Amino acid sequence: MRKLILGAALAASLLLNGGMPGHAVAAGPTPAPPNAYLYIGFPNNNQVLPAGKPIKVWFGLRGMGVAPRGVTFPNSGHHHLLIDTDLPPMDKEIPNDRNHLHFGAGETETTIELPPGKHTLQLLMADDKHIPHNPPIYSRKITIYVK
Amino acid sequence: MHRRTVLGTVAAALLAPLPSISFSTPAPPNAEVYIIWPPDGAVIDGGKFWVRMGLRNMGVAPKGVDMPNVGHHHLLIDTDLPPMDKEIPNDRNHLHFGAGETEARIELPPGKHTLQLLLGDANHKPHDPPVYSKKITITVR
Repeated sequence: MRKLILGAALAASLLLNGGMPGHAVAAGPTPAPPNAYLYIGFPNNNQVLPAGKPIKVWFGLRGMGVAPRGVTFPNSGHHHLLIDTDLPPMDKEIPNDRNHLHFGAGETETTIELPPGKHTLQLLMADDKHIPHNPPIYSRKITIYVK
Repeated sequence: MHRRTVLGTVAAALLAPLPSISFSTPAPPNAEVYIIWPPDGAVIDGGKFWVRMGLRNMGVAPKGVDMPNVGHHHLLIDTDLPPMDKEIPNDRNHLHFGAGETEARIELPPGKHTLQLLLGDANHKPHDPPVYSKKITITVR
């Protein structure tokens, strides 16, 4: 009987904490479809690209739509390209600098120039206020080589 | 000399823009929409595939969003371009992507098919100048 009560209490606490006691999942306020899929259409992972030439990056998005910044439309967001950096906090505005390019006009591709060497690229969607969705929608981080 | 001036005036009057009833949404002259995948001439087994929609020098916005230099994709299947001054039809041959989608999963029966993209404004009307892709042909088997 005592064991049963303990078990019930444990189960309740697990349920209340979303199954991860003490670890709230950080995410923005705007919901995203759980099946949304964001990926870099090109370049490919581990691709070697010629230095001194603009690199075209195509933003692949499934199960969700693109909308410019400031537009609140269900299941939409705008693209951010993260260059040579890890994911930023998922519950704050995405930084706007050389490592975090914003595509607030609804762009779905871009061209970038990178110095020779190894670089990483990753896409992250954000809502009308530049905050990632819940769940956050981000692509796999890929590595490219410029030489 | 006098006659020439009169003629010139008449010509200028004729060339002056006519008052138009509906105004098209302007698009950047260098905007370009294109089909990333499938490539022209592709042979696709099974008939179910993703179409990837590419857009340069312009942005994507859902229907109803009235902002400069944006539009939403329309995929024309087995049909020619519709009139450029009217709402794009909404049927099996003209698929609308009014939620800002940039990819579409479509299914086509075996045979030859054509695909073409046409951008529409907030009200589903083509821009001025109209932004449309090359028409490609694919074969489903």
